[in-house]
Amino acid sequence: MEDEEYDDEQALDDLEDEEEEDDRSSKKRRRSEFIDDVAEEDEDEEEEDYDDEDEDYGGGGRGGGGGGRKHKAKRRTGSEFFDLEAQVDSDEDEEEEEGEDDFIVDGGADLPDEVDGRGIHRRPLLPREDEAEDVEDLERRIQARYARSSHTEYDEETTDVEQQALLPSVRDPKLWMVKCAIGREREAAVCLMQKYIDKGAELQIRSAVALDHLKNYIYVEADKEAHVKEACKGLRNIYSQKVMLVPIREMTDVLSVESKAIDLSRDTWVRMKLGSYKGDLAKVVDVDNVRQRVTVKLIPRIDLQALANKLEGRDAPKKKAFVPPPRFMNVDEARYSHCFLIYVRELHIRVERRRDQITGDYFENIGGMLFKDGFLYKTVSTKSISAANIKPTFDELEKFRTPGENGESDMASLSTLFANRKKGHFMKGDAVIVIKGDLKNLKGWVEKVDEENVHIRPEMKGLPKTLALNQKELCKYFEPGNHVKVVSGTQEGATGMVVKVEQHVLIILSDTTKEHIRVFADDVVESSEVTTGVTKIGDYELHDLVLLDNNSFGVIIRVESEAFQVLKGVPDRPEVALVKLREIKYKIEKKSNVQDKNKNTVSVKDVVRILEGPCKGKQGPVEHIYRGILFIYDRHHLEHAGFICAKSSSCTVVGGSRGNGDRNGDAFRFNNHRPPPRVPQSPRRLSRGGHQNDYGGRHRGGRGGHDPLIGTTVKIRQGPFKGYRGRVVEIKGQSVRVELESQMKVVTGKLLLMWGNLFSFLFHGYLYGQLTTVLFAVDRSYISDNVVVSTPYRDAPRYGMGSETPMHPSRTPLHPYSTPMRDAAGIVF
Amino acid sequence: MGSAPAQIPTSFGHELRACLRCRLVKTYDQFRESGCENCPFFKMDEDHERVVDCTTPNFNGIISVMDPTRSWAARWLRIGRFVPGCYTLAVSEALPEDLQNLCEDERIQYVPPKRV
Repeated sequence: MEDEEYDDEQALDDLEDEEEEDDRSSKKRRRSEFIDDVAEEDEDEEEEDYDDEDEDYGGGGRGGGGGGRKHKAKRRTGSEFFDLEAQVDSDEDEEEEEGEDDFIVDGGADLPDEVDGRGIHRRPLLPREDEAEDVEDLERRIQARYARSSHTEYDEETTDVEQQALLPSVRDPKLWMVKCAIGREREAAVCLMQKYIDKGAELQIRSAVALDHLKNYIYVEADKEAHVKEACKGLRNIYSQKVMLVPIREMTDVLSVESKAIDLSRDTWVRMKLGSYKGDLAKVVDVDNVRQRVTVKLIPRIDLQALANKLEGRDAPKKKAFVPPPRFMNVDEARYSHCFLIYVRELHIRVERRRDQITGDYFENIGGMLFKDGFLYKTVSTKSISAANIKPTFDELEKFRTPGENGESDMASLSTLFANRKKGHFMKGDAVIVIKGDLKNLKGWVEKVDEENVHIRPEMKGLPKTLALNQKELCKYFEPGNHVKVVSGTQEGATGMVVKVEQHVLIILSDTTKEHIRVFADDVVESSEVTTGVTKIGDYELHDLVLLDNNSFGVIIRVESEAFQVLKGVPDRPEVALVKLREIKYKIEKKSNVQDKNKNTVSVKDVVRILEGPCKGKQGPVEHIYRGILFIYDRHHLEHAGFICAKSSSCTVVGGSRGNGDRNGDAFRFNNHRPPPRVPQSPRRLSRGGHQNDYGGRHRGGRGGHDPLIGTTVKIRQGPFKGYRGRVVEIKGQSVRVELESQMKVVTGKLLLMWGNLFSFLFHGYLYGQLTTVLFAVDRSYISDNVVVSTPYRDAPRYGMGSETPMHPSRTPLHPYSTPMRDAAGIVF
Repeated sequence: MGSAPAQIPTSFGHELRACLRCRLVKTYDQFRESGCENCPFFKMDEDHERVVDCTTPNFNGIISVMDPTRSWAARWLRIGRFVPGCYTLAVSEALPEDLQNLCEDERIQYVPPKRV
């Protein structure tokens, strides 16, 4: 092989020596410097290609005068690289003339040889020097051969920069847009090709382009409009009365088609485009590229009765409008639908069990349809499925999980989800895990991202500092406790804390609904942002107490797109109603007090414990009171957004009742509290898991401007607004809304601790979710300026939290209400 | 005319396939019967399985190149060195690895498609 190449080269050299005047010789001279270097071979080929090109021009020149000029221009571009160009240029034309003549004669004679086509590309054609009677002939053959194998060089330069060099110039042919019959675009382009073959160089067009996405038009490349019209003459699919010139700047756009990869491979998720399964998710189990068919696995939608009718030859009722719901067709497995089997038998539908010859899997054949594990296996045309941008919802994926399947096999299908990743999916610092290949399950952090590869810093020792991995081999990785934001998928926009990681599925405690949501790790970014999502429709907001049409009432526990979920005021038995906006009469804002079991006054925000009923033992602050019913919020209650509805008479106030006292500075009101004041739990104890007393302290905040904190100036301690000062405008639950002085904007954050004149605010969910953690996370050394508060001072040492704990002693006495009133833990909202 | 043109597709439907290396478009049968004019070393005409491996039905657009050397479009698409014929603007799949190796052995350059 190599020897052969050398021979060729040698032959070329000989040839070139013969033609001294030709500029080829200049190239040769240049090349001869490298003559011994095999690697330079390509260089050679490149040059030879230019020659080849030249000769082609000569050939084309036969047909029309335009070719000659073109040729010259062309040549100049080609020979720019050669030192001797200027010198040669002057006589180039004459020389060229000769060359052309020679070529034409020879070319003509040898054409039949070439028609054979493929023969010429075969390697061992050369050299047959003994017969090489004609040097020109030999040369031509060499060139023909090189032309074949040397586009290597040409293709090699695929970088963008080099592509720039190929941009069209004024000397290049132009593109013309020509109308053609709709749907016949490809045909029109191919017809032009055929015409060219029939008529040869008479047809002076260079190419014809039919784009898949452009109907009704094709492009024809030619030097002149007349050439286009001439070429299109007589073709019935092309209407060339009017041809439009494509501006030179737009020429590249015409040819840049995005070859969106349609990776139809096993385990790809697709959607059906046609029939009763239209829109259904399906999983590819087999691809027949030749026949362009795919076998997919579907959740069957079978109307068994209709099937039975059909099988028995009975007249099936005319096409029904309804599409049977998808259900699993479990013939041998009772798990899903035992009755199905019975039903199938009852209907005398014959079930045949067959073994697939190739895979060895068993299928149930029911009326020509194949089932396995309850799934329908259907072979359809690739045209009838869509594979681009398929985003299966969680529910769909869950359904597809067959009993035997564990998360592992889901991974393969997950990878198709990755195809939809946006640019910039991985960012520096992201924690990732390898999901494929030898390094599977290796964790690391993203260091750098380029085109295809993600460079990660592996967690494991003994590995290179960074590893470059294809982004498809990676998945984001999170750990319980991370606070995340969902950035794509159905739950997009939600934020919350990761509470559980199952393979590549995260269970997140939503900030908004306090419910668990399941999302793909891939759809999530780590974020300290707390979005509240939609919490309001009209005048009604999440957690509002509302009066409904039928005079029943309840608290809004979830805001959906068009309706509210309302936990009704029915004690002892949670009753949730889905309520439309118009079904709400009004928001109940009346604040009333009731008495608990011990005849203590219960006001909103008092912490009560439920003494009877199914929720016995639960406790939390009272959010609403209406008609003797308490709505208690217990954040450890995972249902109904944490709300529990109970009769006031079955509850007891825990800790102190919050009255008007503290607002007025009347500390002694607390002495009226009947049950002996409980010793509040210290936060440390809270942190050890005793959550029952999270609310051991009194609850501050509340709605309707009752809270003394409202209007006070605070300074934000943590999060993105750290250091900002602002005025408290609203306190609700755990969140505080603060109007920032400097920014004229209102931010929502979380009030962590209020303690004497100390405020700790945690904004944007930093360490959000775990109260105990939060308490410890707060650095209490901060004392806010400008704070005018009417909050009772709480005994600092009670916290017993080591170094963090002691409040700055000098500041305490400054507070007007610094008299210790009772031992209380930090207040956590 | 520089070299003999390739076979011209005899139909325009989904029987069409494009060579994964040179992007020549022909029908499956044409590839099977006479291989690819630009890539004879694939020997598709000798081994019919090869046709499936070396060609794809998924391609985007057709360009009939009458005069590859003088066509700007052909040059831009880097098919200017191939024989005249019908090509596609882009294929999305890459040549299977074993065939890429074959190209290497034959010292034929193969440039996999750029993924978008």
